[in-house]
Parts: sequence; structure tokens; C-alpha cells
Amino acid sequence: MFRDLREFLAKLEENGQLVRIKDSIYPEPTIREICRAAVDVPNGPAVIMNNIKGMKGMQIAMNVHGSWANIALMMGLDKDTPVKDQFFNFLEAWDRYPGEIKNIDSDKAPCHEVIVKDNINLFEHIPLFRINKWDAACFFSKSCIVSKDPYDKDNFDTQNVGTYRLQIIGKDQICIQALAFHDIARHVTHAEEQNEPLPVAIALGNDPVLTFMASTPINYDQSEYKYAAAINGIPMEITKALNSDLDVPANAEFVIEGEILPRVRVPEGPFGEFPGSYSGMRLQSVIQVKSISYRKNPIFENLFMGRPWTEIDYLMGLNTSAPLYNQLKESMPEVHAVNAMYQHGLTTIISTKNRFGGYAKSVAFRLSSTPHGISYCKNIILVDEDVDPFNLEQVMWSLSCRVRAEKDVLVIQNTPGMPLDPTSYPAGMGNKFIIDATEPTDPDGLLRDTRLIESPDSKDFEKVIADLQKAAQKA
Amino acid sequence: MKCVRCLHDTARLLTKAPDGSGAWEMYACSRCNFTWRNTEEDEVIKPELRDKKFQFTQEPEDLQILVPIAPLKKK
Ligand SMILES: [Zn+2]
Repeated sequence: MFRDLREFLAKLEENGQLVRIKDSIYPEPTIREICRAAVDVPNGPAVIMNNIKGMKGMQIAMNVHGSWANIALMMGLDKDTPVKDQFFNFLEAWDRYPGEIKNIDSDKAPCHEVIVKDNINLFEHIPLFRINKWDAACFFSKSCIVSKDPYDKDNFDTQNVGTYRLQIIGKDQICIQALAFHDIARHVTHAEEQNEPLPVAIALGNDPVLTFMASTPINYDQSEYKYAAAINGIPMEITKALNSDLDVPANAEFVIEGEILPRVRVPEGPFGEFPGSYSGMRLQSVIQVKSISYRKNPIFENLFMGRPWTEIDYLMGLNTSAPLYNQLKESMPEVHAVNAMYQHGLTTIISTKNRFGGYAKSVAFRLSSTPHGISYCKNIILVDEDVDPFNLEQVMWSLSCRVRAEKDVLVIQNTPGMPLDPTSYPAGMGNKFIIDATEPTDPDGLLRDTRLIESPDSKDFEKVIADLQKAAQKA
Repeated sequence: MKCVRCLHDTARLLTKAPDGSGAWEMYACSRCNFTWRNTEEDEVIKPELRDKKFQFTQEPEDLQILVPIAPLKKK
């Protein structure tokens, strides 16, 4: 649907989901104030700012994925589509994997319209700013970082495209946060044991689906590019990097190429992170920049993360839920839907049929053994298959009327944890908290004899009432 | 010059406003990698006004490493 960021911005504008701030502003603190406001208004729009002091001629796009309306438009849906429908639509698109790849000659690729290789100064080309007040520096919070496994260089599918936070520490040096379980950490380790630099490319301002896929947990040997093509419904256009064998998105607004210096670690952080709190300072790897290329009149896209919800929560909501759903469904077909929208799945709600007594708890254990669930999913709530896990009123009803704490609540101590979760202590350790809010099934002790009120068949009348309401509001 | 976060004399001019307007300058510390712009809020760029929790008082080498450096493999 969208070949690049520009086509998506046009779509958002058509639908009243893009606004422009033309006032002259200082980068700090005004950009973060504007971004907080944009995500807080109902159906928050994307925002373009193009009059930033000291950065004449440069433009910044924020909050591009920052509402359910924007996510729906990215998926080709009506902007009012309910979240549960967006989830099932996304699953359908997901099953079209692998999509088609189209190679574009390097000298014809839009991302190579302007090439800078000498006297590199990132600040001369990109309107960088401090996102949150106590961040250590300017960060790229919405980039797609491409790397290959040095032991498996010819394998297109293990080439990784991921989003990791990047701290700009100098004119041509960037610090990259890799966590031990990230795919790129494996590439770094393989390069470092050979004492070799690891080539990387950082693509900024991508088509919205590629950005979406770069923060999706998929299997190590699956290609983010092929997923982006499948979900976008058009071929993914890539081109060769200028300094390495990496494949980069041909229509990116910017591509920064460089190498991770082997066996070097420098101070990185803090940075305001997705749990709504600052991460600490750690020692991390350094990218030495070798080139910057960009399109004419490039648009710098970045992401504001504040106390949830902000854009990151919309960006990671469905793409965290879908792979978990698919992995569960493989061995447990009773699973009906998965809502892992809360801080990358730290809290996850699963609706499932309770096939026999205690089965729902086994679904929680299965979630805890998926690659993502191992460290992220710590609070796990199970509801019946006729409860919509995206509808929190229904979930609360299940907690209220289905849970008897002494048999339905479990805490499993000292399991893997997510280091950025402020409750993870020591960083990387955690607990599993399981609430089974499903109706007990035989041979489990049943509820007292309970007769549910059946819902009448109301689907047809939903449209009738909605149309009448629209007409009433116009009158 | 002095870094506003670690207070060591390890900071320098990083860059000036790219449009040549002189609207701002940025500085960077080579010891703790903090950077700042001279037009930011006082409580971010004045050491005496900064939140103590966000000052850097450790030695850089004492920070935790999240991805350990693997032992060298013989070629
Ligand atoms: Zn310092």
C-alpha cells in the first residue's frame, strides 16, 4: 500500500490525521510538549514541524503511528476500525508471509539521492533533539537497523532489521543499545570473537509497515523485509548499502552506514523508555559512521516515548500480540485471541477455551516459554473464549466474577525478566503472575450453579443505532 | 570545558546550528557521553540546578555491560 513514509503521510493528511506546526520553535522542550499533546488528543494525528530554530529547511515527523486511527489507516482499514478487528485483520496479512522483494539499483535508489562520505557531521543533515528531559543526549528512537550474522553472510533471511535505541555521542559516532536476547547481540558477539568490525546500516523515515515490523518479535530465521512486503501488500524495495553487502530500504528518508567497533564499550543512557521510566546507564557498543545518504528534502521521523500511552504503545500493540497468538495457536488451538498491548506484553491477556480443568494455566505456561514471553510476559491474565481480551470492561468482569484467589492466582518466582522493567531485580530477573479468570471445567471444582445472561443477536442493530446517532448529532 | 553531568573537564564544542544562524551550540562530554544544547532549560544544563539522581558520579568502567565481550576465537 505504502512505498515510503511520504505516501503514508499523504494518506494520513487525506483522512485528517496529520497536522503541521509552522511556528518557530526551539527543539527543547517544545518538540516533546507538542508530541505529548498530539498523542493525548482523541485519535491523535501525526505532526510535522518544519520551523525549528537553527535548523532552517529541515523537517521532523512525529506521532506517525500514534493512534488506533493511524494504525488502522496503515493496515488499509477505515480509521474507526475497532482494535479487535484490526488484530484479526493483521493476522490475515501476517499469513501472507513471505512477501516479494524487489532490488533497486543503488544509483537509482531514492535513499541515495544525496551522499555524504567526508567530514561527516550528523547534526548538519538531521534535526536532532533531546526527546525526554533527562535523556543523556539526542536519540534515534524509531530507526530500522540492518545487520548480518558474520557466520551466515549470504543468508538473506537471517539478515536482521530491528529497532534499537541509538544515542548520538558525536558528529560521526552513535552508541547502540543491544540487550543480550536481541538478534543483533548475536551478530555483535560473532564479530567480536573474531575481532572484526560489524557493518550496520540505520534507515530513518521508512514506510510505516517496515517500521512496524522492525519492532515485531519474529523468529531469528525469518526476514523482516519479507514480512513487511506481505503485510504492506506490495513488494519491499531494497538496495545495496554503499559500504557493505547489507540490503537497505531503497525509499528510506535517510540511511546512515557504519561499523560497530569490536570489543569496545562506552557509557550509554539514561533514556526514557517504553515502561514510562528512565533506563539506567550501561556500557554499550559504538557505531563509527562511514556515510550518510538521504532523499532530497528529507523528513526526519522519530518517536516520543512518555508515560504510557504514547506512540510506542500503538506501534508495538498488535505486532507483539500477533506472533504470540500464532506461537500459542500452533500447539494450543483453543486459544482465541491475545492482547499483549501493555508495555510490550509485560501484561498480557489471553482468551482461551478451557478444554479441561486447569488447562488455561497451561496456556500461561506455554506463553512463558515462547521466545518473547520468556522475559517479557510477566502478568498473565486468562479469560474465556467469549470474552474480548481487548475490551477491558469485559476482562474486569471476568476478574470480578470468575476469580477465587486461592486457586486461581499463581506467582512463580525468580524467572527471567525484562531488564527495562523497573521491577526487574536484579535487572533481567522477574516473576510470573498468573490470574486464571476462566470458568472452571471438569474435573476442577465448578462455580456454584450459574446461569449466564445470553447476549441477544444485536449485530444488525449496531449499525442502525450508529447511523441514527450520526444523524441525530448532525441535526 | 566542564561537563554538566559528570563535572569532569572532558567536554568540548560538538557543533553549531547547521543553518549558520547562530541559534544554538551543542557540547559533548567524551567521558560520560552526555550532550547538551545551550538553549535548553536551566535545570538540564546548569549543574547546580540538575536533579542529583541524573548526575553521573561513578567511574565509567564500573557500569554494567549488558552484552558481554566474547572471548577471542583463534583463527
Ligand atoms: Zn561527562
